[in-house]
Amino acid sequence: MQALTPEENRDTQAHLDDCAYCRAVLSESLVDLAVIGMGTEQHSLPEGARLRLIERIARTPQETVSAPTTVTEFPARKEIKAGFGWLGWVAAAAALAIAAYLGYGNSKLKEQLNENRSQIALLAAQADRAQELTDALTSPVAKQVTLTESKQPALPVGHATYLPKRGALIFVASNLRPVAADKTYELWLIPANGKAPIPAGLFRPDASGSASVVLPPLPEGVEAKAFGVTIEDAQGSATPTLPIVMSGQ
Amino acid sequence: MPQDFPNPNNEALRSSHRTPVRTNEADEMGLLTRIQSGDQEAMSALFDRYGTMVYSVALRVLKDTGEAEDVMQEIFVQMWRNPSAFVSGRGSLGGWLVVVARNRSIDVIRRRRPSEPVELFALPSSTNLAKEAERNSLLEKIRGVMHSLPDEQKTSLELAYFEGLSHSEISEKTGDPLGTVKTRIRLALITIRKALKV
Repeated sequence: MQALTPEENRDTQAHLDDCAYCRAVLSESLVDLAVIGMGTEQHSLPEGARLRLIERIARTPQETVSAPTTVTEFPARKEIKAGFGWLGWVAAAAALAIAAYLGYGNSKLKEQLNENRSQIALLAAQADRAQELTDALTSPVAKQVTLTESKQPALPVGHATYLPKRGALIFVASNLRPVAADKTYELWLIPANGKAPIPAGLFRPDASGSASVVLPPLPEGVEAKAFGVTIEDAQGSATPTLPIVMSGQ
Repeated sequence: MPQDFPNPNNEALRSSHRTPVRTNEADEMGLLTRIQSGDQEAMSALFDRYGTMVYSVALRVLKDTGEAEDVMQEIFVQMWRNPSAFVSGRGSLGGWLVVVARNRSIDVIRRRRPSEPVELFALPSSTNLAKEAERNSLLEKIRGVMHSLPDEQKTSLELAYFEGLSHSEISEKTGDPLGTVKTRIRLALITIRKALKV
């Protein structure tokens, strides 16, 4: 039963509900599993295991009490042999047919599993790459360097990368001037359709004047005419407060 | 805050002012009913009765103490969350826990999602796992039978049980014909069943 898909499990369970013979065979297998398991050499619990479980139990709420699971009473082994004549052979044939069906299903399942493993490995590699990129862009320990013409003082500068279709925005700024404790910088997306500016995230520079906004919640499909930065009260604002201290198209 | 529950296997605590846990079948059902009503002390007592058994099976399969403890914890926490799934009906709770421990551990080594719980079932009627003396006697008998099995039968049975291998996989691993593997496992099970009926 353990290797079956949910669909196969449902089909098998439905069959078991109607077939006393197969129920009895399954019961016998489960008893075997229990008996062999109980024969396992006993090992002491790891130190503190009992306390850890008790603490976890204390933190875990119980689910709402549902209707008790009904339990099928299986006939004893002797009854299996004595109680079935030709009906037993019919049931046995049915059980063989089910076994063949399940064997085929199992084979297909293994193929699917291998495909899924390859897909998961690919996705995991892509996720690692994406995480690496995000970390490099946003890590507070990443060195931010702004290149300017020689001997020019470094000015506040921000770089916005925006994907309108997905509403995905990454904003990285450096050389920002500090803001008062009760103030914050706020990034704005200025829509190309002339509608009101959309707030795109609050940020405060760190000691080196760097800050970033990564994937703020934005509506999808909004083309941007420009981006701007204002200084707002610490909780942010729904509309920009002039002056616009940084902007770019 | 977690409470400090008595360990019924500890003689010092048995003699304390707390009510010792009686080991009989009615008491086991009583424990389950108390767990259902949110009694953490009852849960603790049930863990004291079957925790080692569940952990030992998980450890035998996983060969890693940390993973085995994780499996054990998940089983008992699941039981705490939804004890009604276990309470009703006739069956062996200890046997049920052992089967769940084995299945969950195989899931871990095969990186599968957790199995659905198995149905309750009845062990041979002469067995009362709630009674410690009977439980120990049964376990000794099972271990004795397992130990007496011919090596090739024992190997096939252990590969199937503790590594979760199918008959075909055992055949591939050992190089023995598939029919031979099936026969060995069947003979081993017959030997164990016979021994337990005596």
